[in-house]
Amino acid sequence: MQRRKFLSLGAAAAAVVSVLPSSLTATDFRTTAPKAWEAPTSKEAIEALFGSSAATEGKIEIKAPKLAENGGAVPIGIKSSIPLTTIAIFQDANPRSAVAVFEMGDNGVMDMMTKIKMRKTAEVTIVGKGKDGKLYSAAQKVEVSIGGCGG
Amino acid sequence: MKIKAKLTGDETEIKLLLESPMAGKEEAATKKIEESYITHITAKVGAAVVWEASTGPFLSKDPYFMFKFKGAKAGDKIVVETVDNKGKTEKAEEAIK
Repeated sequence: MQRRKFLSLGAAAAAVVSVLPSSLTATDFRTTAPKAWEAPTSKEAIEALFGSSAATEGKIEIKAPKLAENGGAVPIGIKSSIPLTTIAIFQDANPRSAVAVFEMGDNGVMDMMTKIKMRKTAEVTIVGKGKDGKLYSAAQKVEVSIGGCGG
Repeated sequence: MKIKAKLTGDETEIKLLLESPMAGKEEAATKKIEESYITHITAKVGAAVVWEASTGPFLSKDPYFMFKFKGAKAGDKIVVETVDNKGKTEKAEEAIK
């Protein structure tokens, strides 16, 4: 048993090492914070990724439709009045909460947009880490008429 | 992969359209397809990383991104690299206009 356990640990360690060369840069959040991608709720995912879910509201702006006809591609715009290093999107409409984690370069402009899947009405939360190291957030409820997560 | 790179004043705006079903565990099971989604995207100008994303299957199918940065000039090349859950990589570049 002991030996088997040791061997499986070795295999796990080897798997982690072999993933590194294929990751393009040093900060692939799927590798550095694997738990954040498995968390079912936004609160748990935010805590797993940022170490805390205590964030200041009002500095980040989320631009999302109040009613999304097609849950397969809900446009989410993000703006911020303060410089951010990391921006993450979470939602409570799918089996797991984390959607994407963005890293802004030193010359990044705090204005971006993407599209996400939502299979039911839920809240979308944006959390950003400021250059000051503090967390900032914004949330909006999006009503979905037709779900977009594989039916 | 499609990239549009446009300089306005001192800001470069990138519009990026990738190709991927972005199918996670549940969606793959429902649609009877393989799990397939992009996990990481890097955008570089020269040696500088201007934008990066760690991504999961809840981005829309054929994910779309718009982002902006300063410091580039017309003619500079933006290079975008992606990797998916199976380790498959793609790379494309576009000159900033």
